[in-house]
Amino acid sequence: MVKGNSGGLGFISRSLLPLVCGVISCVIFVGVWEAIGANSENPVAQVLPPPSKFLPVLFESDFKIGLGSQSASIYQSVTVTLIRVISGMTVAFVGSIACGLLISLSKWSELFILPILGLIAPIAPIAWVPLALVVFGVSNLTAVFIVFMGVFFTLTIATVAEIKRIPENLLITAKNLGGNNFARWKFVIIPAVLPGVFTLLRLNFIAAWMAVLAAEMTGLRDGLGTVVMTGRNLFNSNLILLGICIIGITGFAVDRLLLLIQRKFFWWKI
Amino acid sequence: MSSHSSALGERHHQPILACQQVAKVFHSNQQSSFTALEDINLEVARGDFVTILGRSGGGKSTLLKLLGGFIPPTSGQVLFHGEPLPGITPKIGMVFQENTLYPWLTVEQNIGFGFKVRGKQKCQYTLRVQEVMEHVGLGPARHLYPHQLSGGMKQRVSIARSLANQPDVLLLDEPFSALDIQLRRRLQKFLLNIWQDTKEATLVLVTHNVEEAILLGQKLIVVGGQPGQIIEAVDISAPAFSDRYDRHFLDLQQHLEKVVGEEPDMMENPFSWAANSGPKVTSHS
Repeated sequence: MVKGNSGGLGFISRSLLPLVCGVISCVIFVGVWEAIGANSENPVAQVLPPPSKFLPVLFESDFKIGLGSQSASIYQSVTVTLIRVISGMTVAFVGSIACGLLISLSKWSELFILPILGLIAPIAPIAWVPLALVVFGVSNLTAVFIVFMGVFFTLTIATVAEIKRIPENLLITAKNLGGNNFARWKFVIIPAVLPGVFTLLRLNFIAAWMAVLAAEMTGLRDGLGTVVMTGRNLFNSNLILLGICIIGITGFAVDRLLLLIQRKFFWWKI
Repeated sequence: MSSHSSALGERHHQPILACQQVAKVFHSNQQSSFTALEDINLEVARGDFVTILGRSGGGKSTLLKLLGGFIPPTSGQVLFHGEPLPGITPKIGMVFQENTLYPWLTVEQNIGFGFKVRGKQKCQYTLRVQEVMEHVGLGPARHLYPHQLSGGMKQRVSIARSLANQPDVLLLDEPFSALDIQLRRRLQKFLLNIWQDTKEATLVLVTHNVEEAILLGQKLIVVGGQPGQIIEAVDISAPAFSDRYDRHFLDLQQHLEKVVGEEPDMMENPFSWAANSGPKVTSHS
């Protein structure tokens, strides 16, 4: 009984260990920050106000941040930014798998199209902002487009690489069992590449996240990036740090969410 | 019409699978080519269990690929039911050495995969899949994924998946080579049971293991030489050859081991070691 109990506890503590350590290190970090910022004469506290100073901003003025008609609650800002990132990434994920499949149809399309993708992929997504503003104007479409451009080309190249990596036996077996070309695409190639491409999508999420924030800071009038820029325009360090904190926490949460999705739906290895 | 022949002479008048004067040449580039097989004549009748024995790189897997339509012969022809074999067909099942299970599907889904890729509705094949799973004893594992299975279980699922398709011929390319000896023996028995239960089952198995070839087969073919040819064909349908401690079994085993030759250094060319400066083969006589 006792043995079983301690075994259970051992399991829990082992699985919770990373979480516990993470919380402890965050608490220490905030504690040191608060200690330094306690003296408001300290110049550091002027630029980097501790959480106890900037968090109350959240509760001021009915959760609204911004000026006049542009003001939005922090939740609205978070939602807007998240919707932009998620829709851009979804379109890029589906599109790149479709494009990767089409490209790998023939050796020639690979030879002709991959170099172009290889040239476009390293362009920083933020570089597309001016162009996107001209084409799409100040709208959600601009943000979605920038996220898409940041992720799509890398993922397409990855899809082609993943398709090449599929063991030949898996494809031959499907043919041997009576599957035609289309059935092999649907039942072998697509499921075989999904986990690899999704992993890369998760790794590229950070790039997409940064791209959309940069777009919000430079061109768009709402979203999390705008919160930070409003803080800058008002010389309000509390608002800047609040924005930064929310950006960090939301980004972290989305990354964990993607990891969960990966473990739940795309867990297999080929 | 006897559907189950037990000796070389007593055959169906038309074999299911036949090779006529088959040769296979691989071209690596324009100058060099490699003749893997030459002058292969072979007949597989309904109900046969043929084992093809040979050393690694000796062309036996190439022969199996030709029989399955995975590669076309360079000359001669492979006949399936008397017609030239057009290519890969679900009528000729294949089980590879490494597992070829789909990692994202459960055991049950893997076994039903053939029906799924052919566009069958699930209700049309569920019964058949369950029947096969019961038959091969995989019922309790139906909801497991391949990474949760042992090597022997994976091979059993691969075999079951091919059997579910009811192929006319089942080809097996060293299916048990990656397994340890106990497991290998269990699966050999498993395969023999399947063959005995289903009178119509026709099996062709490739192996480099002499004991396995004698134990399983009912006809045994040795592929060897350079280029590969059928250097010996033995009828091993007598009951003596199902007992690995029988004198006839051991005599045949000894004889075949000599025929096959198991020096790995002689794989490509039996005399290649002689050309090298340092002798790699030392004899302790």
